[in-house]
Amino acid sequence: MPTSVVHAAFAVVLAVGLLGAYYDRRALAVVLAVIVAPELDSALGFVMPGAHRTVLHTMVLAAVLAGFVYWDSQRSESWLRGRWGEYGVRVAWVALFAHVFAHIALDWTHLDGINIVWPLVDQFVALDGELYLSSEGLVQTFIDISVDPTTGQQVVDAGQSGTTQSVHVSTPVQPSKEPVGPVDRRFPIAVGGWQLYFLCIGLFVLLARRRQSDE
Amino acid sequence: MVTQVYHLRAESQGMPPTLVSVAIGVLLGGALLGAAFDRRSLAVVGVAAALPDADVFVSLLLPGATNAALHTIVIPTIAAALIYYDTTRRNRSWLRERYDWYGVRVAWVAIAAYAVAGIGVDLFSTESVALFYPLSDRYYAIVGKFVLSTQEGIVQTYLTVGDGWLGLASPGTTGTHHVSSWLNPGDGERRLRLIESGWQAVVVLTAAAAVPAKTLIDRGDR
Repeated sequence: MPTSVVHAAFAVVLAVGLLGAYYDRRALAVVLAVIVAPELDSALGFVMPGAHRTVLHTMVLAAVLAGFVYWDSQRSESWLRGRWGEYGVRVAWVALFAHVFAHIALDWTHLDGINIVWPLVDQFVALDGELYLSSEGLVQTFIDISVDPTTGQQVVDAGQSGTTQSVHVSTPVQPSKEPVGPVDRRFPIAVGGWQLYFLCIGLFVLLARRRQSDE
Repeated sequence: MVTQVYHLRAESQGMPPTLVSVAIGVLLGGALLGAAFDRRSLAVVGVAAALPDADVFVSLLLPGATNAALHTIVIPTIAAALIYYDTTRRNRSWLRERYDWYGVRVAWVAIAAYAVAGIGVDLFSTESVALFYPLSDRYYAIVGKFVLSTQEGIVQTYLTVGDGWLGLASPGTTGTHHVSSWLNPGDGERRLRLIESGWQAVVVLTAAAAVPAKTLIDRGDR
């Protein structure tokens, strides 16, 4: 994973803006809890091969949750609104937004990616590519569509990396499937300039927002 | 500062494109503009985030100006000092008289976007930034990793500590290091990069989704 710290920092940037009038410490804590929670599927890795980045990192779960929040907030005896008022509805939407963009989408671009529509299809997908303008025009390499010269069939390469049987995305809980030698559990805080940059932005937004409320 | 020689890795990323700076600027604007959030203020903040990358034009006249002439911390520092002086030290603030509280808020967020989204994103990449230009013409890059490992302990390579100095990676000075760009590609192929990796695509997508979401929310809050 780009570390939970990086997910959290990105989530802070999103939450501060989208919570708007409902921004407070409790709302932020809920969003951060939702951001960290999907990593619990690391623990399932011991009983189910390839569970990490599959069970709780699927877009299907996010879609079901979005459907639930929408359905619940529309009906007259809404559970969320009845319990926490408009505050609850807002926090739920913002937490879901942060979950999709700051966690799932970022993991999609990292290592073997995520098992994006599990359990409908068991297929890890990793998003990687470029978008640029050159003498060939606008070129994107995120999804390559080509024709197989031998079979004549169209081949779509969107970064498919494997299934739950073949892919194991390393986590501190279970660094590798079959460990050799002493187990090295690595808890990355930031890897690469951009991840440290995200930490700095998150911290900056948090401090700047606090200063504003003093005015 | 002690600087280390470093080699650009084969898979290293180049300069995070301007589109990514704008996206991060827009995200900052969404977070910090507050009541001043509207189409106009967001446009100002987005342009402020893109502005540092305009030093590629300067590089046509002044070799070595890319990621230096406008990527210097000197510019946002002076801008911040001017705004501070105008809004707190003077009896009648020009900015406040002309644009009211809205102008003050937008000015501060625009400076933040210039520094954080415009300069910052390039500083944290191998492309590097001459952060103190023209006081110093050395390029700096904050790249590395910070990992806690049960076998190796704390692994930290962003900063090197040696001789009692803290050192950042530096590929050279404006005289020795050429930052290639779409306008001034050196000997490379001319390419205007919009997105160059997965995480940058996610940042751009997120900004594109966050603006309508924020607009929708603000409408409900009023």
